Amino acid sequence: MVSKRVICAGCSLLCDDIIVRSDGLFIDEVIGACLKGKERFDQCMAKNRIISPKIREEGELKNCSLEEALERVDQILKRSSRPLLYGFSNSSCEAQLKGIELAKRINGFIDSNSIICQGRILNASKKFGITLTTISEIINKADLLLFWGANPAESIPRLLNKVLFSRGKFRMTGREIRTLIIIDPVKTASFNTMGVRDVALQIDPNKDIELIRALKEECCLDGSIPPEGVAGLDKDDMKRLLLNLSGAENGVVFVGQGLLKTQKDTNLIKELLELIEIINEKQQKGRISLVLMGGHYNMAGFEHVALSNTGKNHSLQYVNGELIDSEDTIVSKINNEDFDCSIIIGTDPISHLPSSLARKLASKPIIVIDNRKSATSTIANVVLPSAITGIECTGLVYRLDHVPLELKKIINPPSNVISDKDLLEKILYNFETQF
Amino acid sequence: MELYKFLPKTNCKKCGKPTCMAFALDLLQGKVKIDDCPPLLESKYKNKYDALKDLLGSEEGKQKELKIDVDEDLCDGCGICVTVCPVNARYCPPTLSGKAPDYPPEKHQLFQVKGGKCELLAIKHCRRIEAEGRERECRVCETYCPRKAIKIDYV
Repeated sequence: MVSKRVICAGCSLLCDDIIVRSDGLFIDEVIGACLKGKERFDQCMAKNRIISPKIREEGELKNCSLEEALERVDQILKRSSRPLLYGFSNSSCEAQLKGIELAKRINGFIDSNSIICQGRILNASKKFGITLTTISEIINKADLLLFWGANPAESIPRLLNKVLFSRGKFRMTGREIRTLIIIDPVKTASFNTMGVRDVALQIDPNKDIELIRALKEECCLDGSIPPEGVAGLDKDDMKRLLLNLSGAENGVVFVGQGLLKTQKDTNLIKELLELIEIINEKQQKGRISLVLMGGHYNMAGFEHVALSNTGKNHSLQYVNGELIDSEDTIVSKINNEDFDCSIIIGTDPISHLPSSLARKLASKPIIVIDNRKSATSTIANVVLPSAITGIECTGLVYRLDHVPLELKKIINPPSNVISDKDLLEKILYNFETQF
Repeated sequence: MELYKFLPKTNCKKCGKPTCMAFALDLLQGKVKIDDCPPLLESKYKNKYDALKDLLGSEEGKQKELKIDVDEDLCDGCGICVTVCPVNARYCPPTLSGKAPDYPPEKHQLFQVKGGKCELLAIKHCRRIEAEGRERECRVCETYCPRKAIKIDYV
């Protein structure tokens, strides 16, 4: 039995203090990981694990060899002219790079999950600028944590443990010196960690943009808040919030899915970045920075891989091997039915997307590369099993604060199961050689 | 004297004490238990035995045992209890910066997360037992658990 310190890829926090005890064949004990991380390590032996390639014949999925499955993939790709590649948030950066290469070769459209999560805020940041920070800096310096539209106690269980309760170099007292502010319409489990000095704000749903605008006005001109309050908050609450924000030495705003998904326009993100800019200008001794909370473990990775290789951080459309400028996203592509087959990697759009879009996606041939059964894999034409990154194969991934980390291999994958990077490489090789 | 009334008052010395009065004094200080008096267990003293048990039940606050109950169904292994516990912070340096402590656990370590659930290791080193003064009133693990899975109780 060997104890190893590994990085857990259960969520985007990528805890690097997990101890795994294994005999080289199976994982026996996981120490230090939360329930989400434990599930990730259990996935190797889970009941819903896919270990054999499958192809659809006469309406039923049947087990087959990897060569047969790859041949079927090749046939589908040869027949199509507008393929769609989607997913990549649960793959290593190497696989993402291969995915972009494949998209370039087959003239496809490639996009990652981050387009419906944090992609928009990073897109908006190109115009307005953005101040990001890292987890270690938060541990050592932060004295104000604002969670906006996020429930870290349930979505990323160990985040509060690391950023709020830890004792850093300049914050030796830990919890006592940090102020916690939570803005959310629902009273979530995170509210239970509130102390005496903390501020809990329950706003009306879908009123975030009004609150941001009111705060901006108050920053520029004192006393501009209407007496009845804004978005379900009274005047005192808002003043307390502003006082905390402008008085913080190192404030951090955690932007959650609640804030990113409520509205369709990008105005909210623009206004939020402007508000932070105004507060930063106003205060004398510190600054406010941002952390974008993604769900999947390598959501930030695609932004970096795509940006450094192509100059665009998501939604890459290739025509004749060239990247073209297009306003399309994965949602508009599916909505307009502007595709004739799709490759889904490590995600489950059939259960995540609205039913109208899911129906349109299901009407065309689907190739799934994943390690577990999902709604998408049950209706797919070809299912290719992949090894689990961080347990059965290595890979480079980006943490939620955009810090790159190298995941290690702990045990061997099941026989004939290879990593998603190798699978994409084989698909690319087959496409270029066979006629 | 209240306790002495319910004893057999025969000074039989079966309990090892010279008199029943001495036994009553030791009972009050928690050095002996009711069951240590053999004649009291006989059927003719049953009424006195029950009355004595009721009496001690209300007075025995100090002798109750500390119990920290972790609800496994609610716990999601976030490890906040591991980080906030002052005993862990003193003996396991990694917990200062929010990290998981080393394995195998240190002998003073109170909490550990194993298999996605929080585990209680050495309750005898808890501040509620070892510390003096106000530190004895420590309830941080119970206060900050976001899922309300930890309950401190005396039974």
